[in-house]
Amino acid sequence: MTFQSKLLATTAAIVVAAAGAVYADGHATHPETGEVLASDQTFTYRDLDESPSIDPGLAEDSAGGDILRDLFEGLYNQDAAGNLIPGVALSHTVSDDGLVYTFTLRDDGKWSNGDTVTAGDFEYAWKRAASPELASPYSWFIELMALENAGEVIAGEVDIAELGVTAIDDTTLEVRLTQPLPYFPQMLTHFTTFPVHQATVEEFGSDWTKPGNMVSNGAYMLTEHVPQERLVRERNEMYWDNDNTIIEKVTSLVINDENVALTRYLAGELDRTDVPAGQFPRLAAEYPDQAVSVPLSCSYYYMFNLRDGAPEEIQNADVRKALSLAIDRDIIVENVLAGGQKAAYTFTHWATAGFETPDIPMATMSQEDRNAMAVELMTAAGYGPDNPLEIDLVYNTSDSHRSVAVAISQMWKQTLGVETTLANQEWQTFLEARSNGDFEVARGGWCADYNEASTFLDLMQSESGYNDSQYVNAKVDDLLAEAKTSDNAQANYDMVEMIVAEDTPIIPIYHYASVKMFAENLEGWPFENFQQNWYSKDLYKIAE
Amino acid sequence: MFPNRAAVESVGDAIELAPIKGRSLWADARARFFRNRAAVVALIALGLVGAFALFGGIFAQYEPDFVNFSLIGSNAYLGVPSTETGHYFGTDSNGRDLFARTVQGTGISLMVGIVGALVAVIVGTLYGATAGYYGGRVDGLMMRIVDVLMSIPFMFVLILMLVIFGRSIFMLFLGIGLISWLDMARIARGQTLTIKNKEFVEVAVAIGVHPAKIILRHIVPNLLGIVIVYATLLVPNMIIFESFISFLGLGVQEPATSLGALINEGSRTMQFGYYWQIGFPLFFFVVTIFAFFFVGDGLRDALDPKDR
Amino acid sequence: MLSFIFRRLAVAVPTLLILVVLSFVLMYSAPGGPFNSERPLPPEVLANIEAKYGLDQPFWKQIVNYVVSVVTQFDFGPSFQYKDRTVNDVIAQGFPVTLTYGFWSFVVAVTVGVSLGVAAAIRQNTWLDYLAVGISIGAQVLPNFVMAPILLLIFTLWLGWLPGGGWQGGQWQFLIMPVIALSTSYMASIARITRSSMLEVLNTNFIRTARAKGLPMRRVIWRHAMKPTMLPVLSYLGPAFVGMITGSVIIDVFFSTGGIGQFFVNSAFNRDYSVIMGITILVGTLTILFNLLVDILYAWLDPKIRY
Repeated sequence: MTFQSKLLATTAAIVVAAAGAVYADGHATHPETGEVLASDQTFTYRDLDESPSIDPGLAEDSAGGDILRDLFEGLYNQDAAGNLIPGVALSHTVSDDGLVYTFTLRDDGKWSNGDTVTAGDFEYAWKRAASPELASPYSWFIELMALENAGEVIAGEVDIAELGVTAIDDTTLEVRLTQPLPYFPQMLTHFTTFPVHQATVEEFGSDWTKPGNMVSNGAYMLTEHVPQERLVRERNEMYWDNDNTIIEKVTSLVINDENVALTRYLAGELDRTDVPAGQFPRLAAEYPDQAVSVPLSCSYYYMFNLRDGAPEEIQNADVRKALSLAIDRDIIVENVLAGGQKAAYTFTHWATAGFETPDIPMATMSQEDRNAMAVELMTAAGYGPDNPLEIDLVYNTSDSHRSVAVAISQMWKQTLGVETTLANQEWQTFLEARSNGDFEVARGGWCADYNEASTFLDLMQSESGYNDSQYVNAKVDDLLAEAKTSDNAQANYDMVEMIVAEDTPIIPIYHYASVKMFAENLEGWPFENFQQNWYSKDLYKIAE
Repeated sequence: MFPNRAAVESVGDAIELAPIKGRSLWADARARFFRNRAAVVALIALGLVGAFALFGGIFAQYEPDFVNFSLIGSNAYLGVPSTETGHYFGTDSNGRDLFARTVQGTGISLMVGIVGALVAVIVGTLYGATAGYYGGRVDGLMMRIVDVLMSIPFMFVLILMLVIFGRSIFMLFLGIGLISWLDMARIARGQTLTIKNKEFVEVAVAIGVHPAKIILRHIVPNLLGIVIVYATLLVPNMIIFESFISFLGLGVQEPATSLGALINEGSRTMQFGYYWQIGFPLFFFVVTIFAFFFVGDGLRDALDPKDR
Repeated sequence: MLSFIFRRLAVAVPTLLILVVLSFVLMYSAPGGPFNSERPLPPEVLANIEAKYGLDQPFWKQIVNYVVSVVTQFDFGPSFQYKDRTVNDVIAQGFPVTLTYGFWSFVVAVTVGVSLGVAAAIRQNTWLDYLAVGISIGAQVLPNFVMAPILLLIFTLWLGWLPGGGWQGGQWQFLIMPVIALSTSYMASIARITRSSMLEVLNTNFIRTARAKGLPMRRVIWRHAMKPTMLPVLSYLGPAFVGMITGSVIIDVFFSTGGIGQFFVNSAFNRDYSVIMGITILVGTLTILFNLLVDILYAWLDPKIRY
């Protein structure tokens, strides 16, 4: 085909498609809401980066999770509010001691090649994820699920057959735990627990995740994958609930630069993208139906290094508290970020299920009072204009972290005369420095593993592997241990938050929000889902 | 990216004549340079940019790192350039005075460019002169090393270095200088080969002057013309180079800034209509680079007696 | 000539070895490993991963194994970051992309640059000359990370003529903006070099003689002046080629083309040793080959040079 004829053909195709759209629009309606559906049911969204893997056993990031929830289906799914709804499993029973779960699987679940999804597929997938040969960076999730022998299997001490999961028959799966976990069923919506098709994995080895090879059991199947460019998944005709799937084709595009992504969104190439820091108010004013901000289960904070041998100045709790007081969080959330984030005085995210934000004294003061108190504490600690405190602040490279760090260092300077040296480090260097205690003040961010306050506060435990401050407080440890079995955990959480606000091993700064642009005609997005777990099969586009 | 070797080498042909004609070549060159109107204008522009970087801070109403919190997030209405607020160039996205930051950025960019070029030129000249002076096997070995190093994709190595050792201005100088001394070494060697057969060098050898002294005292001064031209053309390339590094987020540390970093930030907010955030830094960037190119071209023409 | 080529190829081998060792050592001295994350991995998980990738072996053994498998099987190992892929997969996917837009940028830069330069030289000190010089300097000072978002704003957002990114197998709509953004500064340099080189050639005696004989200008330019004019341009092509490969980082970031530039930067940030090594070796090899090609062309064009 010559260049010109190709051009003509393209134009012709566009004309035909456009004409088709006019006639086709208005034919189909949504089965439940009765809305008129658009003829073009494709969903295209931006991903920041290529996911390390789209193998359920090896995947490790949330963007990969978004893709995997479309391609595969685990025992349970989440509905728009985050509640469990049947996936491959229809129901389960729990033994009285809470250690044995028995799942009943649907018998009409199909792989994309027509095979039936069986309990054996789950057994295989879980054992595979835990196997030392696969060496999955997410094998710890199997350990977190407290499966019998999980730790030993991963360490290679016990044969893989001993893992606490057994397919009794094709539709019955038995799972044995080492300790009762009230949130165990919730964990089954996670991609590490998704089934994989044994015959395919064995035939293709590590190439099984490539389009053409991959056999999946979700509402979609992989049709195209160009790393660092695009990943396309299309309707899986074999899916048991295929009749209720409306979106035909989902495309995720890797676009590193969020401003470029926004340009392409505004040019109509994307149905969903992220809003760059500080641009939400403008976009919300201009596109009120498209700019959306919902709480996201993460907290942003600065941590102090409290190890032995760390700089003397910041071992003084009054100094730390003064630094915390002097941060005007309202400016951070309203001006710097301006995307519906909330000022944080507690570590636990305000929207965490069953958590009432306690009344931290600092939270109710005016900023003038906070500043006055901060100056007082600093002066008492012996710092002032003649003897300014000097500290180093490290953060990982990112435009918004930089903006926050610049603003905070200036607040410290303008209120307290503190001289801050900023250092941005790229991610791997930053992680290393932080876990080795090679910092004075460092940026931190923590996202909930599950929707309960302990997912945040457990970081304050002296033994926690994620306690990079190395904050040690026996009282906090006791309170947290007690909360695990207590009926009224909230009281303990309140006290922990109070102690943390007083000791200030960390400075909570804000609670995240997910700030995005959504195409006007895209419906069905689970905004209420705190972990933002979404399924393309629940989405649809209405006719305009 | 770097000054064209062949073009610069032609200057060397002219410089050879220096010892014979004595001072008059430099006087001639000066006269020729000042007859070149574009070069003179560029030199003046360069002087102005330099003055801006050195003394601009006096006129700034704010410190370059001072954040005006009331201006963050309201750039579009309040952060615009204005003589009333004292933000002559407006503010950046973080509520800082863009005038003061542009002054600082211009200074740092000039410094990176000049120091980087100096490192390249000094290392390259000494290396090339040494290789050329000793000749023979030493020369062969030293030049093979240059060949080997030239085949290494240095930008990639520099990215690795900055990622690994953390960013610092020192690292930047080192990295940039390391990449660009190779061409200089080749040029300096070529010129040394012709100079070393001149009588004054032979006399120095005959009376037993130490080789290091011969290189420094007799050879390097005769390379001066070519070195100046090469250095002038190298500076703008260094500045462009630094801006690329800044784009990758591996440039200077906050709150310090460079023109490259400012332009990079500005290019991100361009689509929101904050044109001043890219406009002012880009203006100084463009003027600086234009000026260096024209001065470099003027110097080359002035030192090259072939009348065009 | 042949012996020259052989000698150059012989130098290439130690060069590549130096490159391999240098990058290997650099990567190893880097803080942080490929498997660090916000949540530190439990030791048994980390041990499994290190065993899988052979990272539990002593340093010298790793480097020997690596070199052996590269040399004997052309196998660059698995990617640490992209766990479904090998380095060969990554390169096989990203490199053709970079090569495609790199090639077109190269073609555009050379043809447009040389034409502009020649036109400016023949019509020296006319409006055409000033225009050409103006364009070339303007194009040279505008960094391509500024050019790229400007192109996006104009052609994608305002005019809606071109898709804002992607690759789609390299269809022409997806090629235009990357090629413009990548080629302009090299085009500008080539135009400048061509112009001054042509001016110099036009002043030489043999051209004056040719014109004195009464040959038409067009013929003088094509038959006599072009060849010597191209010499300095040619020596610039080596650095230009390397610059374009490096510049692919910016192209990939802005236009989501999925070339090796993006893979390289991401791998450096993620400590994906094997991908970094693979790409470094690839680019190093290409640089060596391209420089060799330029030297051969040079010898062919310039009868004064003998090897």
